[in-house]
Amino acid sequence: MSAEVHQFVVEALKNMNYDTAEVTGETPLGPAGLDLESLSLAEVAIQVEDTYGVKFEEDEMESVALLTVGGLVDEIVKRSSAAVAS
Amino acid sequence: MSAADAAVVTGLGAVTPLGRGAPELFDALCHGKSGLRRPPAGHQLDGVVDSVGMAPDITAAEVLPPSEGRLVDRFVLMAMAAADDAIADAGLVIGRDVDPARVAVVVSSGAGGLTTYEAQGLERAQRGPTAISPYLLPGMLPNMAAARIAIKYGIRGWSSATATACAAGAHAVAEAARLIRYGEADVVVCGGAESPLNATTALAFRHARALAHGFEDPEASSRPFDRRRNGFVLSEGAGVLVVERAGLADSRGAAGYADLLGWGGSTDAYRPTAPRPDGEGAAQAMRSALASGSLGPDDVDYVNAHGTATKLGDVAETKAIRAVFGDRSPAVSGTKSMTGHLLGGSGAVEALICALAVAEGALPPTGNLDDLDPACELDHVVGGARRQAVRAVLSNSFAFGGHNVSLLLGAPSTRRTRGGAERKEHA
Repeated sequence: MSAEVHQFVVEALKNMNYDTAEVTGETPLGPAGLDLESLSLAEVAIQVEDTYGVKFEEDEMESVALLTVGGLVDEIVKRSSAAVAS
Repeated sequence: MSAADAAVVTGLGAVTPLGRGAPELFDALCHGKSGLRRPPAGHQLDGVVDSVGMAPDITAAEVLPPSEGRLVDRFVLMAMAAADDAIADAGLVIGRDVDPARVAVVVSSGAGGLTTYEAQGLERAQRGPTAISPYLLPGMLPNMAAARIAIKYGIRGWSSATATACAAGAHAVAEAARLIRYGEADVVVCGGAESPLNATTALAFRHARALAHGFEDPEASSRPFDRRRNGFVLSEGAGVLVVERAGLADSRGAAGYADLLGWGGSTDAYRPTAPRPDGEGAAQAMRSALASGSLGPDDVDYVNAHGTATKLGDVAETKAIRAVFGDRSPAVSGTKSMTGHLLGGSGAVEALICALAVAEGALPPTGNLDDLDPACELDHVVGGARRQAVRAVLSNSFAFGGHNVSLLLGAPSTRRTRGGAERKEHA
């Protein structure tokens, strides 16, 4: 599932006009990498919720902002499986 | 007030149904060219209105960094394009020519990005809560044209946006004049923008019986002061002016189009949409503008009328102009005959037309004024532009809600001037 989610996140970023040519799993979402502003991160979160039914709460967004693309993908996959399992 | 403290217009930008560019707009108007058309097949106004004013496309990529263009409403994009053009026209570099803290931005809109808001609402109805993007509000709030222009140019002084419907653009220009006069800013980027071409807004105006209807030729639909007029034509667009202290303009060698000599505002306190039938509110705004500029009615050569071509509005404005000017009518024209009604954008676009009228010594005509309504008798400019020396001019804007604004412009007090005025006075 990870590859598909990775593709989804990259596609979402691309649609938001971020340059994703060099983006890998190691690319940070924060200033050292994509430098997403808070609304962009919120946009990704809402699209993830729409597609995978996975929620990120307001108080989690600060820590999500510190993840890499791969870290975010893992988190989505983990929560998605948890949701399916429960 | 010393000449150095005068508020002078040094830059113009326009995105209107007559194209992008202020000189292009003025030239088209002087040649009696209409920007109105039938809505294209498939457009959401197709079948809703008979005539519409559509401005050229402005893409987000033209005016914003790639990652900031998401869900930004058209009123913001058009305002930004007009601001880009006006600032370039003024030759102004903020930070080099002027301290960013001494620069203000006042760009208004009647209603902000309703088209974008509605599109998101419709998507929510279809797809559920997650259809709503976090980008929605920063893309459509009425202050976002002002805010994003400030972000782009690093403008750090006063900023605001007054949402007074069809007077919003004029209120922005009035606020600019006030900021310069009271020394609160050295430069003000001011204007108005509107993107109302969605079916809900158009139907609201149509059901209020405010829109022109039943004309075979869309260009003939907007007929200010004409006997056959039956409403306005809905349009979109933006106008932005750079206004600065004449002392600053002179120190950097900038040329002025016109001075912003004064402003006047009043309120009808009458009905939510209908104007006071006697035009007293409108007359009060014009008198205040004259007093603000220390001029009298005899100093005024031209009035750019609000002239939306509604039955009541044009008669009330005629009465107001007669009340202020008595038997000597200044030249009057209603340029909405060719641009349509840009709502919150119109006051700024018409202020810009007035600045060019002063600079060029030319008065654009009223289109479609074939059969003058006897209740609207004034010295109307018809059949073509009138070439003459233009001293002071008034630009009127009246809004739903009863907000009235009149702006007073006159010859520029800068050493260098633009257009015909340059050849005339400062050669």
